[in-house]
Amino acid sequence: MPIFEILTPMSVLLCFFGVFMGIIMGAIPGMTATMAIAIFLPLTYALDMIDSIGLLIGLYVGGISGGLVPAILLNIPGTPSSLCTTFDGYPMTQKGEAEKALKVGITASIIGGFFSLTVLYFFAPMLSSVAINFSAVEKFLIIVFALTVIASISKGSLLGGIFSGLLGMFISLIGTFTDNNQMRLVPPGFEDELVYGFALLPVLIGLFAIGQLLQEAEEGMKAAPHQRIDLQKGKDKNNKFSFKIFKNQKVNVIRSSLLGTFIGVLPGVGGSAASITAYSQTKNFSKNPEKLGTGEPEGVIASEASNNGLIGGALVPLLSLGIPGDSTTAILIGAFLLQGIQVGPLFITSNPDLWNGIVFALIIANIVMFILMFFSIKYFAKIVFIPKYVIFPIIVVACVVGSYAINNGVMFDVWTLLLFGLLGYIFPKIGVQIPSFLIGFILGAEAEKYFIDSLKGSGGDLSIFFTNGPIAIVLWVLILGSVIYAIMDSRKAKKADVY
Amino acid sequence: MTDFFTIELSYSNYHLIFPKIIASILIMIGIVLLVTSLIKKWKAKKLRFQFKFFSENYDKVKIYGTIILLIVYVLTLEIIGFVPASIIFMVLVTLLYIGNIKKKSITVSITNSLATTIVIWYVFGQLFDITLP
Repeated sequence: MPIFEILTPMSVLLCFFGVFMGIIMGAIPGMTATMAIAIFLPLTYALDMIDSIGLLIGLYVGGISGGLVPAILLNIPGTPSSLCTTFDGYPMTQKGEAEKALKVGITASIIGGFFSLTVLYFFAPMLSSVAINFSAVEKFLIIVFALTVIASISKGSLLGGIFSGLLGMFISLIGTFTDNNQMRLVPPGFEDELVYGFALLPVLIGLFAIGQLLQEAEEGMKAAPHQRIDLQKGKDKNNKFSFKIFKNQKVNVIRSSLLGTFIGVLPGVGGSAASITAYSQTKNFSKNPEKLGTGEPEGVIASEASNNGLIGGALVPLLSLGIPGDSTTAILIGAFLLQGIQVGPLFITSNPDLWNGIVFALIIANIVMFILMFFSIKYFAKIVFIPKYVIFPIIVVACVVGSYAINNGVMFDVWTLLLFGLLGYIFPKIGVQIPSFLIGFILGAEAEKYFIDSLKGSGGDLSIFFTNGPIAIVLWVLILGSVIYAIMDSRKAKKADVY
Repeated sequence: MTDFFTIELSYSNYHLIFPKIIASILIMIGIVLLVTSLIKKWKAKKLRFQFKFFSENYDKVKIYGTIILLIVYVLTLEIIGFVPASIIFMVLVTLLYIGNIKKKSITVSITNSLATTIVIWYVFGQLFDITLP
């Protein structure tokens, strides 16, 4: 079995553990797959690359899947991508069909997961074989393309999103520029601490986890209005789950998985967009669209198939071009960097074992997710009742340990964690958007490197970015298209707001 | 126009080119944002500068308590060490969030903090040999 030549038993075990923890984190409202990966990142320092891949992929799949539990039971999406699951999932719970809804969602999830995995397996190597010939100019333009993502994820204010992204970039430039070893933007007195700028991990988990904590503290750590939920009222045969439900849903499953995967491939459109698109398309094509939203398995299938389809899709640009598709894959880039691996066009050909490892880990994670959730969903359902005052202190200690350990015991990194935690709390209040800021922060250094390299080639002539051959033109078209799409989309959203 | 599209390159200030560009775009967008928000306020005839930072009825004790406890926790980490600092921090912060000092809350907070601290100390410090404060 080649699968065990690449994956060690340890990595399979860690994958199992990752899925388990991911489901738990995903099921807790307010915790996301992104946060799950961020919190467990420190554990990966001590692991081999392949073992940590198992853990991280497991967390990713589990975290996205776990979100359906509170979406169906409490009408609170556990992760942003399970937003649409609430539309039909919660009405099903109210009808006493909670268990059926959960199992429909879980089954749709695994189908979506495998669908996107197939796309990833065939599409990513193709894309990277094109990208391999890219020069600094194209690489810079790809980063710009990735940054246009910011336009489509910015909520409310397009300009505000761009501002946030650039601010993130600016902060990432603090420290030394490796080309000529000069320090810049460092406040006086911090020359020793900020030689290499702020460390990625404390910035990440500060912005997400500590920011969230402060936000909840401001609101008084109120418990969500819980009610006693009977997973399955009565013994009515219609209420029971059976795979027959999927018999008439083949088209729906395939369409939703495809949409989820496709949206995942587009950088930065994000989880909630995938499930919203799939849901609305299902409604358009449904035989009885008026029933959707009142507790139809059809809606749950659309949402869950698409948000698991997203996972494989989002990994395509990450592994073939080195650009993150959403905030979760942005953290995965961080994880690769920690292991000293540069993700980009060369990744697949120069690390074939790692690439196969990722694919196998995805297969295992999806199967484990299905088995774990399908047969023990009753117990996972209890997670939504864990009080916040138990969860959050644990998260703080885990974050502090992680930040401290990242560079083998630097106290300044813990202060970075607190600083960015505070920023993560203040930013949304003054209109700075955290996901955009983060994407800017992660891509900033690369953008600078390729920008300067391109200029070196042209002797400072900026027109090189337009005249460097057909690929550059294609990239410009993509960039413009993405920006125009984002502007149209935000106008549409504004109009919808007015009515 | 060629001058406008050309950037002076010299090895000694490579490190300043990109930050300068980003900073100038930032300032430009910042000004646009400021102006548009002022225009909006002007149109709505609410030129009074009202900035609501906290949400209504925010929990003063919990938000300030959390910030202070976090800072004190990090300060004490290097003085008294990871295990005692974490146990004390977790007990206090859990009690802060529960909001009372009944017997049950004390039991919950102590159990939670002891269990978490010991598990983290064992898994990270002993099993994986990761440096702890």
